[in-house]
Amino acid sequence: MSHLFNHNGANDTGYSQPPGLTCVNEATVPSGLVRQHSARWPRLSEPEMVRHYTWLSKRNFGIDTGFYPLGSCTMKHNPRVNEVIAQLPGIADIHPHQPEHHLQGLLSIFYEMQHMLEICAGMDQVTLQPVAGAQGEFTAIRCIQEYFRQRGEDQRTKVIVPDSAHGTNPASAAMCGFEIVEIPSLADGRMDLAALAAVADETTAAMMITNPNTLGLFEADIKEASQIVHDAGGQMYYDGANFNAILGITSPGLMGFDAVHFNLHKTFSQPHGGGGPGSGPIGVKAQLAPFLPGPLAARRSPTAQESVTAVDDYWYHWHQPEHSIGKVQQWHGNAGAVIRCWAYYRRYGSGLKTMSEHAVLNANYLRHAIHREAKKEGVSHLFVDGAETDVAKHEFTLSMQPAKDALGISAMDVAKGLLDKGYMAPTVYFPLVVPECMMIEPTETESKDTLDTFAEQFVEVLQTDAETLHAAPVTTPVRRVDEVYAARNLCLRHPFEDSE
Amino acid sequence: MVDQLPNRGREAEMLQSMGLQTMEDLFIDIPADVRFKEELPLRGPQSEEEIIADARRLLGSNVDMGARPSFIGAGLYRNYVPAAVFQLVTRGEFLTAYTPYQPEVSQGMLQAMWEFQTLISELVGLPVANLSLYDGSTAAAEALTCAVRVHNRKASQSNTVYVSELIPPDKMSVMENYCQGAEIIIKTLKHNADGTLDLGGLKEAAGSCGVYLEQPNPLGILDEGLITVKDIIGANTALIVGVQPVSLGIVEAPGHYGADIVVGEGQPLGSPVTGGGPLYGIFACTKPYLRLMPGRIVGRSIDVDGKEAYCLTLSTREQHIRRHRATSNICTNETLIALMGAMHMALLGPDGLRDLAQRNLAACQRTKEILSTTKGIEIVHTAHHFNEFAIRVPGSAKDCLNYLDDNGIIGGFDLSTWYPESKDQILVTATDQTTLRDIEVLSAQLAMWSMHQGVSA
Repeated sequence: MSHLFNHNGANDTGYSQPPGLTCVNEATVPSGLVRQHSARWPRLSEPEMVRHYTWLSKRNFGIDTGFYPLGSCTMKHNPRVNEVIAQLPGIADIHPHQPEHHLQGLLSIFYEMQHMLEICAGMDQVTLQPVAGAQGEFTAIRCIQEYFRQRGEDQRTKVIVPDSAHGTNPASAAMCGFEIVEIPSLADGRMDLAALAAVADETTAAMMITNPNTLGLFEADIKEASQIVHDAGGQMYYDGANFNAILGITSPGLMGFDAVHFNLHKTFSQPHGGGGPGSGPIGVKAQLAPFLPGPLAARRSPTAQESVTAVDDYWYHWHQPEHSIGKVQQWHGNAGAVIRCWAYYRRYGSGLKTMSEHAVLNANYLRHAIHREAKKEGVSHLFVDGAETDVAKHEFTLSMQPAKDALGISAMDVAKGLLDKGYMAPTVYFPLVVPECMMIEPTETESKDTLDTFAEQFVEVLQTDAETLHAAPVTTPVRRVDEVYAARNLCLRHPFEDSE
Repeated sequence: MVDQLPNRGREAEMLQSMGLQTMEDLFIDIPADVRFKEELPLRGPQSEEEIIADARRLLGSNVDMGARPSFIGAGLYRNYVPAAVFQLVTRGEFLTAYTPYQPEVSQGMLQAMWEFQTLISELVGLPVANLSLYDGSTAAAEALTCAVRVHNRKASQSNTVYVSELIPPDKMSVMENYCQGAEIIIKTLKHNADGTLDLGGLKEAAGSCGVYLEQPNPLGILDEGLITVKDIIGANTALIVGVQPVSLGIVEAPGHYGADIVVGEGQPLGSPVTGGGPLYGIFACTKPYLRLMPGRIVGRSIDVDGKEAYCLTLSTREQHIRRHRATSNICTNETLIALMGAMHMALLGPDGLRDLAQRNLAACQRTKEILSTTKGIEIVHTAHHFNEFAIRVPGSAKDCLNYLDDNGIIGGFDLSTWYPESKDQILVTATDQTTLRDIEVLSAQLAMWSMHQGVSA
């Protein structure tokens, strides 16, 4: 094991720095504020530091390492040109408070991204400020809240979410102060229009839903759902986590939604970085646009003087929406992520539809391949589709309940068995409406060969005896980690005290 | 486009194996009345080299702070990120991983974040840290709601928190948006004319759920009075301190003067300014706040063989389990940027961090010394400053900054943006990247500006 805190390093000083500026009077902090206790971590020389983090990286699984079919997370390949662009001059060393004429390139990219997302989502105005999907949800629900307050409809205190929704949906609405009304899904996993109609009333502020839903099914009744909510005076919110399935084919606007968030780190390939950074822009219809957080990128004709330095036929500037809710991040959002996703968008342009088609092609192909291989090996009785459907969208679910009943093999056992085969496991135990659920999303960037091999290996795992699977994984850097131990014996930092 | 889609050209074969004919068959479940009738009205696809060329042209038209004397900060600070940090953080195993839901194959990032938690814990002097929130503003906002969750039942001023009146409006707005849902009342704390906190007025905050202050404060002032705040507000009111993490190389860690929660903008440690994001929010606290705090936390555990292993822990606070009763909606955070912070801290060591902090302090001091002798320029507050300080200029700050900009200098931040009455004040920021020549150029041009404004030589 390599531990940062076991290195002795060169203890006296950090990496070589140039000398500070010489002052007339010594630069000091107030005597009562002088740091008394030095922090206790070692200094690593560059060779030690590089080796430590390289060693850690080898104990981590990314898309670059292998197939990453983590449902709902859209783990597609991250094109490397995006990283090159993010290192070019003109982004890292830019301050958000610089004057507009210092930021024409950045503003034009922001404008282009807002415009592109508006078209893809069928919305009237996009803001790039929210820095994660959950923050996008929060921001949009805040806008809806202020919209109703301005209309004098303060009695709209409830937000409706299906029981299959991502956990962030109810959490975001609750953070805004809304009461959550959860409606059950139908037995086939789809939305229950009757249940929706029963709860939608003059207290409804919004309904939050994703389409395709978390089972990977397209909700064909979505326009009817929008109608029900709109008839009750509420707004429709689209959770864009599953946007990768529908780009260029349909849009939240066409389905009747009023607001939507995008996960740029899913659909537009911002690398997820082991947990972030992300970017969670939102788009809204015209009635909500005045409430968006500001500023937004806007453009106009340049003056004669401006046209000399303009990047194209326009002059770009910041614009503050009239009744803005203010800010959800102190600056302009994750500009560095937006730049990368702009590069991704430019690669596809109007061909984004092809990307979604291939995402859906791969998901359906993998679903068929798994069933095909299972039938061939005589184990098709060990799982069932999480939902009955002819076609899935970008992801699909399987229920391992039959394997559990017959052999005592759980979804988690299968997941750990797949780790031993060199794969990242699919999402397990979500959505909650499918017992022993495995949620599989291959994305468009996996080859047919990878999908075929995965299907074979998946079936091989199912043919493994329960005892072996309970003990899996055995080939990974550590074996099954005891999460209960971690929670009962909390150790959240290095215990320097003990080692001294 | 083609180079990103391995199955281009194999569509027919794949469709056929499923008993389908065309791609259209995959979308039969989407009703015609919600379908796009035409292609997306967007530009055509580009090749990698065309994208790079456009990126060079567009980004190249932005003005890098480092390309000219720059004195703008106001919450984000020019710094130097060591080369090894960029090299390592773009390793695909870190860059292209998702949140570590499968700990057996995510030990690298889990351990790196556990180490990060330790580094932050040591830096701020508190026992617990999470693995990042979005930025300094959301960390401050989440600290307020956390303080209310912890203290509301015993608070004599329920659902009430106090915040320094100097907090920039943009940050205040984030706090208001995060607090309004829980109906939290945000009251402000007054400051003295010398820019320090009015400790007399602070007494009214006792019995509330929390007090949020910054060290250095938004005017760059290191306020010694903060070490007495906890005694004034008492045990049942959370002391939340926002920090510039580099300053803690020489400035006392707030955990050592009674802070219950320490938050801050992590950017100066390990990350460039990047137009305002991605950044990383620091969040650390004492144990009574642990189970009601926001964000992801890594714990050290064991595997089935008893071998040391790491995993996410205390997840029952979080949205994917607790749903609408979660302590926060945060899911995606800023792990990779926090990793850059950890790498930078590891290279520096505490002594190197002290040196870096001293360089920032000296750059600020030298700038102040030179501007204090510059014609027409007044240093607004006599105090110990870190990174930045307010100056008063003849005429308006806005016009002065425009004049400096015309002469190739990013002169600082117009303080009337934050405080409308401060029309003639500029917040001037110096960091370890500031050179003596930068300061001399600024001083000379400020003297010219003063002369134009009729200040006699």
